[in-house]
Amino acid sequence: MCEYCGKLVAWLDRELPAAEAAEVQLHFCGCAECRERLAKYQQVSKTLDEYCIAVATTETQPSRRRLVPVFAGVAAAVFVAALGISLWRTHQQRLPATPVIALDPVSPPRVTTSPTPEMVVGANEPAQRRHVVRPMLREAQNWMPPAPAIRVAIPADAVFPPGAVPEGVNFTADVSIGPDGLAQQIRFRPLLAGLERRPTQP
Amino acid sequence: MSGDSMPFAMPLSRLTTDAGEVTGLYRELRDPLLRYLVCLGISRDEAQDVVQETFLSLHRHLTAGGGQDNIRGWVFRVAHNQARNRQGSYHPRFGEPLDLHLDSIPDETTPERVVLEKEKLRRLEKALASLTESERDCLLLRAAGLRYREIGETLEIPRSTVGDTAERAIRKLTEALHV
Repeated sequence: MCEYCGKLVAWLDRELPAAEAAEVQLHFCGCAECRERLAKYQQVSKTLDEYCIAVATTETQPSRRRLVPVFAGVAAAVFVAALGISLWRTHQQRLPATPVIALDPVSPPRVTTSPTPEMVVGANEPAQRRHVVRPMLREAQNWMPPAPAIRVAIPADAVFPPGAVPEGVNFTADVSIGPDGLAQQIRFRPLLAGLERRPTQP
Repeated sequence: MSGDSMPFAMPLSRLTTDAGEVTGLYRELRDPLLRYLVCLGISRDEAQDVVQETFLSLHRHLTAGGGQDNIRGWVFRVAHNQARNRQGSYHPRFGEPLDLHLDSIPDETTPERVVLEKEKLRRLEKALASLTESERDCLLLRAAGLRYREIGETLEIPRSTVGDTAERAIRKLTEALHV
């Protein structure tokens, strides 16, 4: 074995000092054994580089294999969720349908307004709480007693026994008629003859 | 390995604690560092984790005013030690059959050529498994593009020992592969 063979790799890697590298190169030109050995070293180095690249490329495969259970788990979870939603919807359709859908499935869905919270609360409360005060006052202010349609004069002797009512006192009844033709209101009041306007004395 | 294959040309004297410099170094060393770590036997995911942790350590190291001499050797040493610390959680590649993917071989080759290439790489793998750990580490770091001084920094051995170890390892491989 040539004494320079131990320096071939370092010379190949350019790791030798300049003087020593020149010496090896000079020997290399005249030594067939070193040239042959150097060619083998170069080939092995090239194969090693290819190996490192191949390993780095191949090493991505186990990562993909590790991801398979993850993807399978996600797919299974999605499938179970979809199945659950489907079953839930089926169950909802089997429940008693809303009146609109049950009575008239052809017509488009009808939007019904739900009772307002005020109305819902008022349904369980006394009736007067549901009335608005201001309209009632306005209505009371505008109320006028209907004008008497019929006035009936009633003598006191026809109602009371003689002597029970002072002389000169009679009674009158004002009867108002409603839209339906019936007596709507009867107002009974005394009629004092002495308090009636007398004609002025000249 | 010829000097032409050296992908690193960054003047180390220009390296500062600037994050941009760390980013540049990351872009420069990421791929060879990943290849080296994967070749050590850890998975690609773990290798990426190691790379991230290594450059985080580098950022802290430079921020704390750490030395910038032989910074590539420092990076590989930190990554190497972190990979070794994970040895309990990964299966060593060497000794196990390597399922080389066909995608790594050029498409223009014939099927026979593909088979031969795969067989050659399998034999190399078997030969690598027969080497000592330091010989294997030397060769893998050399294939990653490191200089002997940087390999020595990584493996914490003298530079002259690196040369002898690499020479011996290459010779063993040549004999094992019957080149």
